[in-house]
Amino acid sequence: MIDLALRIGAILVVFLLSTPWGIAEDKPSSEVPIAQGSLSGLEELFQNAQRSVVKLYGAGGMRGLESYQSGVVIGDGSTILTSWSTVLDVDKVRVVTYDGRRLDAEMIGVDPECELALLRVENSKLPGFVLEAKAQVRPGQRVFSITNLFGIAAGNEACSYQKGVVMAVSDLQSKYTGLRSVYRGKVIVVDVMTNNPGAAGGALVDLGGRLVGVIGKELRDEQSGIWLNYSIPAEVAAASVERILAGKTRSAGASLALAKNPHRALDLGMVLIPNVIPKTPAYIDRVRKDSLAARAGIEANDLVLLVNDQRVDSQRSFEQILQTIERGDSFQLLVQRGTELLRVQIRP
Amino acid sequence: MASICLVLLGAGLAIGAPQQEPELDPEVLSAQQKRVEAMRKASMATVGVFGLDSQGGGSGVCISADGYVLTNFHVSSPFGHRMRCGMNDGKMYEAVVAGIDPTGDLAVLKMYGRDDFPTAVIGDSDRVRVGQWCFAAGNPFVLATNLQPTVTYGLISGVRRYQYPSGTILEYSDCIQTDASINPGNSGGPLFNADGELIGINGRCSFEKRGRVNVGVGYAISIKQAMNFYGNLRSGRIVDHATLGFTVASDPQGRVVVSNILESSDAYRRGLRYGDEVLRLGDRDISTSNQLKNVLGIFPDYWRVALRYRNEQGVQESAIRLQSLHQPGELDKIVEGSSEQGAKRPGEAKPAASKDSLAEKYESRRGFGNYYFNRSELDRIVKLQESRKPALPTGGPDDALQVRFVGSVLGESTAVETRFDPEKIHWALADKTSSVPVKGGWGSWIQNQDPLPISIAMRLWYQWHEQGPRKLGEVIYIGQSPVLGKQGLLDMTRVVLGEVTAEVYTSLSSGDIELIELFTDRQTDPAEVYFDYDAASPMAPMPSRVRLNYGLESRLVVEWLKLDTLPVEKTEGVPGGQP
Repeated sequence: MIDLALRIGAILVVFLLSTPWGIAEDKPSSEVPIAQGSLSGLEELFQNAQRSVVKLYGAGGMRGLESYQSGVVIGDGSTILTSWSTVLDVDKVRVVTYDGRRLDAEMIGVDPECELALLRVENSKLPGFVLEAKAQVRPGQRVFSITNLFGIAAGNEACSYQKGVVMAVSDLQSKYTGLRSVYRGKVIVVDVMTNNPGAAGGALVDLGGRLVGVIGKELRDEQSGIWLNYSIPAEVAAASVERILAGKTRSAGASLALAKNPHRALDLGMVLIPNVIPKTPAYIDRVRKDSLAARAGIEANDLVLLVNDQRVDSQRSFEQILQTIERGDSFQLLVQRGTELLRVQIRP
Repeated sequence: MASICLVLLGAGLAIGAPQQEPELDPEVLSAQQKRVEAMRKASMATVGVFGLDSQGGGSGVCISADGYVLTNFHVSSPFGHRMRCGMNDGKMYEAVVAGIDPTGDLAVLKMYGRDDFPTAVIGDSDRVRVGQWCFAAGNPFVLATNLQPTVTYGLISGVRRYQYPSGTILEYSDCIQTDASINPGNSGGPLFNADGELIGINGRCSFEKRGRVNVGVGYAISIKQAMNFYGNLRSGRIVDHATLGFTVASDPQGRVVVSNILESSDAYRRGLRYGDEVLRLGDRDISTSNQLKNVLGIFPDYWRVALRYRNEQGVQESAIRLQSLHQPGELDKIVEGSSEQGAKRPGEAKPAASKDSLAEKYESRRGFGNYYFNRSELDRIVKLQESRKPALPTGGPDDALQVRFVGSVLGESTAVETRFDPEKIHWALADKTSSVPVKGGWGSWIQNQDPLPISIAMRLWYQWHEQGPRKLGEVIYIGQSPVLGKQGLLDMTRVVLGEVTAEVYTSLSSGDIELIELFTDRQTDPAEVYFDYDAASPMAPMPSRVRLNYGLESRLVVEWLKLDTLPVEKTEGVPGGQP
């Protein structure tokens, strides 16, 4: 019961902050200085690189959930790579560019394992980073983060720079530590506090201004209380973008033929939490004993992320996708349980 | 740069293995040498601020050889008016608070014990760019038990940042963001550029959920803002920030337009109206409404700053007087509140007045952080005035003489005469004469923008030099303010003369009166009387010319030809007419 109350609370937070005032746009801003004369190498690098970092605004804003984060523009400028978080739980993500323009972005797709999402913006006229697997760094190397941490920059203000040194490039071994992360792959760990609120999705660049990583979500070791400052390396991000673009995780509600006799969550034995907002997440409140879901290993508090690799962004889209699967057919769910991602096969 | 880092790391390792000398790029060595030198010099001027029990505290930076220290208001306020400052020579110096700026989180302290304190070189914070290296010095976590400051190195992460105030105080506008470690105890301390020039006063960090330790986001008040306020802070006052008297909003085209304007504001009197587009304030272009707020924060109240705006007639260049942000007395209450909190600090023993060596350096008075400094700044103004005292004619108003300035309107033959005796101030322009009592009855002449206030100002000028500023009325030294058409800042002293308040601007170096503004209230344009000096003029060292302005309009320019005295007329001369 307490769990349920907490979850409804969380939903309400998301709901309340989807309203326009959750978008921090009325912050003071100031001019971007136009340097006169010659710029030092770093000043020039920063002026150029920050144009490919955007401020993102969406849902959140209470109880430790920020309503803003950062994103990196890649390729021809029409795609933005960012962290997959609750900030993106809105129909249109608000993008604020380095020169203060406000654009709307649509979700192309997500990669649950890497916790990355890809957004599309039309006519951004933004220079994009080249996202390439060979942009790798080694321990000891100087790097810089470019993020909108703490939402300091607004409008045409430049994102914030921080300097750092790569401490390690290693797998995120969360099994033996208190680090509870969905993402378990390779990370670039730096020696300074890059992963602050709002920094997730920002850029990690090297001295040549190349994108070498995407700043990860805030992550705290539950045993030591230490915050980890890490980025997802460019090679991992590049592969992730390829997967998303290849359509492995299609958007919810993709037009698939309706089944004559489809599955329904209730019939499968899954009782979802009360559906109170348009984008209520597909959290499972209870699992009926001896049901198909129970036999497959689904548990209360699981969050459904994918059905047969189609993205579930709400209870509504969960039901919609189920409606495309014949009742007799087996299908796969990707659920999040705490920080674990589990693939579960439902076999009628 | 990547190679530089690796080389430096290599150098560190080489200490353990002396048999192999790594090859060091001479550029790396010279860059390092330069940095070491910049930090050494900068550390000399860095101050640790402690309570009288040597507990504490925060940081500060010394900017004058006689011991004036810039720090944060939130550092000084828990200590009340008395503190100790530790310097890099390992000594503690006794200090008192001078002026405070609760809105902008600044305070000026004065250290005693030397007249050759090491000072920081003031840099140009307008030239600070993202990506430049910088370093902070100070007393984080009150580590500096040997009084040597801790130096932390970092990048400029952002410029022209704005951090919201808590209530109406501790607002950080137009500040510098750095990833150099700024921790509790660094507050009030200096931020230097790579050359060791002072570019800001560290005072604030973003912390949120990670506890009160550095997360790579610190903010420094720009040294430009600090120096704008420094002159006012030395007055010992509780200084205030400014409002414009109008608000702005972005219109659908993204222009910054006036959304509301007070008819009593100077901006309104200068012609700004609802719907006009604001283009520039001070020396900064405005393209968003937030920028305007950001720029406004760097100016003290009473300053007159340039304003460029566009109305239906086109682009207008103007200048507006900034109003005070707080109501009279409002800041006193805030300050009282914060020092009451401070008094609860453990170990803040009440300074024993009889034993305190600096007891005579503190004077409590409403509206002041320490009235002692207002008195001593006025002493300085008086000294300047005395050293430049012109040879005025023997006798004067008190000796029942009439003092008379005779001249003409510039470029015309129209005669002008200013005359005053113990009872009346007279004015004559061609054959039109008028007079007012020496006390009172001046307001309507100013409000009607009459030329007679030239006579009032000339009498003030005369008395200022003959009797000294203190005899004129209730006198307060306000600080340093700019004057239109003059380079730099001037000393400003306020004299209350009954219903009229005179603001006297004097040259910092010579003490010459450059401008007297006569206010009836803040809702009406004052009479501005500018004084020009010409060493070649027969009037020298007295003003050879005065110019009277109302608003930004010139009303009259008078060329003085001579000064003489007359016996007081027994019968009342010309009856004073109303303008």
